[in-house]
Amino acid sequence: MKTQLISKVFLVAAVAVFVAGMSFAGETLQQFGDTKGRSYHADLYDGESCSSCHDDSQPSKFPADFSCLDCHDADELVQATSRPDDEKWQNPHNNLHYGKEVPCMECHGEHQESKPLCAGCHSFEYPNYKK
Amino acid sequence: MEKKGYQADRRKFLAGMGMVGAAALAAPALNAVAGESDVKWGEEHEVVIIGSGFTGLAAAIEAKKLGAKDVVVYDKMPYFGGNSTFNGGLFAVPNSPLQKEKGVKDSPEIMTADQVKAGRGVAYEELLLHVAKHANEALEMTLEAGSEYFPYLQQLGGHSVPRTYQTTVASGAGIIQPLVKQCQKLGVKLVTRAKFDSLIFDDNGTVVGAKIMMGHYFGRGVEGTAVNVRARRGVLIATGGFARNVELRKAQDPTLTEEVPSTNPASATGEALLEMFRVGAVPVHMAHIQTGPWASPDEDGFGYVSNYSIYNFAHSLSVYIKTGRRFMNEIADRKTRSDAQLACRDDDGKPLPPITITSYEHAKEHPTMKKVLKYGVGWKFDTLEELADHFKVPLEPLKAQIEEYNGYVKSGVDEQFGKPMGKAKGKYIQAPFVVVRNWPKVHYCQGGAQIDVQARVIDSNTWKPIPGLYAGGEVTGGMHGVSRLGSCSIPDCMVMGMTAARTMMKS
Repeated sequence: MKTQLISKVFLVAAVAVFVAGMSFAGETLQQFGDTKGRSYHADLYDGESCSSCHDDSQPSKFPADFSCLDCHDADELVQATSRPDDEKWQNPHNNLHYGKEVPCMECHGEHQESKPLCAGCHSFEYPNYKK
Repeated sequence: MEKKGYQADRRKFLAGMGMVGAAALAAPALNAVAGESDVKWGEEHEVVIIGSGFTGLAAAIEAKKLGAKDVVVYDKMPYFGGNSTFNGGLFAVPNSPLQKEKGVKDSPEIMTADQVKAGRGVAYEELLLHVAKHANEALEMTLEAGSEYFPYLQQLGGHSVPRTYQTTVASGAGIIQPLVKQCQKLGVKLVTRAKFDSLIFDDNGTVVGAKIMMGHYFGRGVEGTAVNVRARRGVLIATGGFARNVELRKAQDPTLTEEVPSTNPASATGEALLEMFRVGAVPVHMAHIQTGPWASPDEDGFGYVSNYSIYNFAHSLSVYIKTGRRFMNEIADRKTRSDAQLACRDDDGKPLPPITITSYEHAKEHPTMKKVLKYGVGWKFDTLEELADHFKVPLEPLKAQIEEYNGYVKSGVDEQFGKPMGKAKGKYIQAPFVVVRNWPKVHYCQGGAQIDVQARVIDSNTWKPIPGLYAGGEVTGGMHGVSRLGSCSIPDCMVMGMTAARTMMKS
């Protein structure tokens, strides 16, 4: 019994450390049935509402560009990722090269890991970005 | 095959035809590969523009100004601007308002002469002069759209006078973003994820449209759905260069392997250029591929060091690490400098990127210095000893070199490499110092399809323009010859885009 308890405690601790590690790394990619998705979109997967983003209920194509903006407010996003004056144009939602015209999926991956578009050339830090 | 070889899907057609059929078609008509009579049109527009860089957007705005009702711009990427929005935002204009204000004597002829010299005898003078004469109109178009420029001029390598504007954001984005907004305001249709596939001809060999792959996802394995777009006034190819097509650039210059980086975005692959060659356009200067001597091995892409070096070279000295001595005129044309840098090697023949030393008090005049230091691609030193120690440069020869160079600053004559010292006047090299490392990157393809001064694409069968087909900017060849001078691409692109629109609207 005692060993069982200890192993349970150990398991809980291990899971806690693991979960803490995950959230520290900003990893929000989880398994939902046979597809991977973001933990913060769990509601969508529970309801099997692929059509919230995809035009077809059995998704065969990428969602329309900017379909994320059906729920997320573009101006709020710009505000949320604004940077100090000398880095003004490093705001991913209103950036120097493309303004506000970069489709969300060029930086964000819903079903797989991704990286910011600018990482090809620049080494800007986006601590809240979920790869 | 009665229809002289015109067919909607040329590739399948040629593949299925076999050698005998191909031989039977080895007549001028082979150029015109898709015939109008077979085409099911999906869309129709008055002016069709492929590519949304400087050339494409300038053409769209000009066409609208000249009364076009229906202008469409396609880009294969999910956003606009291509390589233009990565560019450094440097814009050479002769007889500009700023030159008048600062009392700089210049003319389109003087600018052309500078470019002809860098072109090493093979540049197309007529095209250069045309661009120089109209550069002010292009500048005006950007100002009207809301572009902002530094209130001073720069004198870039190979230019005999200061004539270069730069956007306050030190990027072509400072022009592309306002032009995109201007297009939207004027009702130009801007379509992303739309990849040009091939040209469509009528039975007389006139370009009457283009096959576009709509819903193209670059780099994600989705080609898109073919839509035949009819173009009532013609098609303008404004798709830029091929710096990122390693096979194509290696075919021209075997030294430009995958190991040589590039300042361009991954989309600079040149497939529209190859399509123009397939239909009979004349390949010009394809092997003249320019590397940028101001780039840095310490960052990817165009980065921060490029603009930093472009601004600072005039009052800096570049030094070979092994000797502590200069090895080039820091504002010679690009090819001269790139070749000199590539010769900087260690004892094993491996690249040993040279360093460029600038006085902090002069470097800080340009906003890129802060970025260079902040992102760790440049370094500040309080003493020459620290600098020499950091880069392992022999101190005494370096000290002597700087003293010698400061003598040239004083006398105004560079006895080592003949550098024009006008912009270095009074700017002695002294502590504290800012230092960057330089190594060339593939930057610009001088080669491309031949056009005339009206932006019409020339046919290698007839040596006359291919009716309905226009091209401008980096996708064309000839204008710059062996080496393009810095800040001469924006005027080239903008003016030839405007020119193409003017020609189309007269057609």
